[in-house]
Amino acid sequence: MQTDLVAQAEPKQSIIHTRYGFITVIGVLLILTILSAGAAVSFGQVDIPVSQSYRILLHHITGIQIGDIQELTSGSFVDIIWKIRFPRVLMALFIGAGLTLCGTIMQAAVQNPLADPYILGISSGASLGATFAILIGFGSMGLLGQTGVAFWAFAGAVGASLLVLILASAGGKMTSVKLVLAGMVINALCTAFANFIVYFANNAEGIKTVTFWTMGSLAAASWDKLPLISIAVVLAIFFFLMQFRVLNAMLLGDEAAVTLGIHLGAFRKAYMIITALITGVMVASCGMIGFVGLIIPHLVRGLVGSDHRRLLPASILFGAIFLIWTDVIARTVVPNVELPIGIITALIGAPMFMYMLIKKGYAFGGKS
Amino acid sequence: MNLSVDHLSVSFADANIVKDVSLKVRNKQFVGLIGPNGCGKSTLLKSIYKVIKPQQGDVFLSEMNLMKSSPRIVAQKLGVVGQFNELSFDFTVREMVAMGRTPHKGMLETDNQEDASIVSGALRKVNLEGHAARSYNSLSGGEKQRVILARVLAQQPEFMILDEPTNHLDIKYQLQILNIVKKLDIGILAALHDLTLAAEYCDYLYVMKKGQVAASGKPEDILTKELIGQVFDVACETYRNPVTGALGIAYLEAQ
Repeated sequence: MQTDLVAQAEPKQSIIHTRYGFITVIGVLLILTILSAGAAVSFGQVDIPVSQSYRILLHHITGIQIGDIQELTSGSFVDIIWKIRFPRVLMALFIGAGLTLCGTIMQAAVQNPLADPYILGISSGASLGATFAILIGFGSMGLLGQTGVAFWAFAGAVGASLLVLILASAGGKMTSVKLVLAGMVINALCTAFANFIVYFANNAEGIKTVTFWTMGSLAAASWDKLPLISIAVVLAIFFFLMQFRVLNAMLLGDEAAVTLGIHLGAFRKAYMIITALITGVMVASCGMIGFVGLIIPHLVRGLVGSDHRRLLPASILFGAIFLIWTDVIARTVVPNVELPIGIITALIGAPMFMYMLIKKGYAFGGKS
Repeated sequence: MNLSVDHLSVSFADANIVKDVSLKVRNKQFVGLIGPNGCGKSTLLKSIYKVIKPQQGDVFLSEMNLMKSSPRIVAQKLGVVGQFNELSFDFTVREMVAMGRTPHKGMLETDNQEDASIVSGALRKVNLEGHAARSYNSLSGGEKQRVILARVLAQQPEFMILDEPTNHLDIKYQLQILNIVKKLDIGILAALHDLTLAAEYCDYLYVMKKGQVAASGKPEDILTKELIGQVFDVACETYRNPVTGALGIAYLEAQ
């Protein structure tokens, strides 16, 4: 009787649910990440044969020499690949991994499936900072101007998220609903200030820069920008991989978590601050890249389930691959034009979200 | 394990919800906590299991002062079956139950063979073995409540608190859950709604009204028509159930 019922009921579980299956998934994703990073450098304004890209990268990273040494060290493609495209691909890899990580953590911390890395007012705070720097601040002072925008964007992002955290804990306990609402309030406020600046700015070029900035781009990637981002993201990944039990308990709610021996309050605050800092660093260097942190965690949950022990590694790799390839599309889809990557992530992300909405078996947060 | 609550008081803003309550659960007793809605029994339980901080009073589980111990240490000894709730993110039944091992595990420690067999055992006890791979949110209310119970069983507590776990459940599931818990042979403190079920399962009862203990004693001694009338504002007659011989209550009229 019982087993009949089980068989009849549609088993709405993740696609992969065995240990073996999970290890396979991680293995495949790892290989895909490495292959993608190698292949992605071939695409751009100048197409370079994939085999040659791989040989050049391999030679630069490990010193292994396959083929003509001349071609590997001083050919015309070497500079394009090693100095321009590879740092950019690595940047896409780390930003993709970081955004997905932050999205997953935020969704757990506020127990809301609509949360993304920017939920704490980070997007509007960073926009306000960048708008200020570009239109009022040091935007026109060459090199200083560039660091200025990044710095102000970071300051805006972190400032806004601290305000959200303070606002959400005012008047007693911080709840996830208060967090989401506080995020909306700060967003509205920062957007209003930013619009105010834009409205009175008599600077068409600056306004275009602001617009481009809010749509996100990896064009500014370079070797000297990589260490900060990569170290920040990798440290955060290791930290949160160790927190899988707390993250899982978070999804059960505050009361159940306490009865399992975890007092969520302090953890939630710490997670938010860490996530805000990481997102701030990412936003400062590449603007806002939407949809990645929102959609990839959902997609991967459908694949391996909600247990963070599996969800985190799988979604981080998935996010990295996703952003590497969206960046390839951004710089190749229209000849001689570099599209803001935010447009591509939204164009790919929105239909994917729609498909998940329509497809049975994944209920986001609600009960289907 | 003995639980003793000493002079516990809880207030929110300026309302005193629990006023100087003391109670005891002696070795492996099944003790019930009954009282009308808003009498403070849930608040009392929540402050015992550390969700609410009481203004005054102490709670001891044998030698351990629960108020001064970390949630993790407490969770290794004390299991709490609350009411099930919908989750924002879905887990499989097995994953849910495996979370009961959380207080026994270090940050980086993964679940081993022993944990797996504890989880399977807990699923077997609540009769949900066949559902291990199902998604929790797709289960019925009675099944969800049994998953929560299994999670607490996997915690291997030495004392258990039931915070009205049988509310909203069909009588079959209420009986199932109480039977499973009764068989555990550990100390239990349970807030219950149904007076006849409380009389049947509990060794001892505390009756709360307006934040205070109005009466306590063996069920057959204190569940009189006078007490029920006074505490619950309902006129009733009590009788021996002719089939089971247990205490029966016939409700007549709300006062």
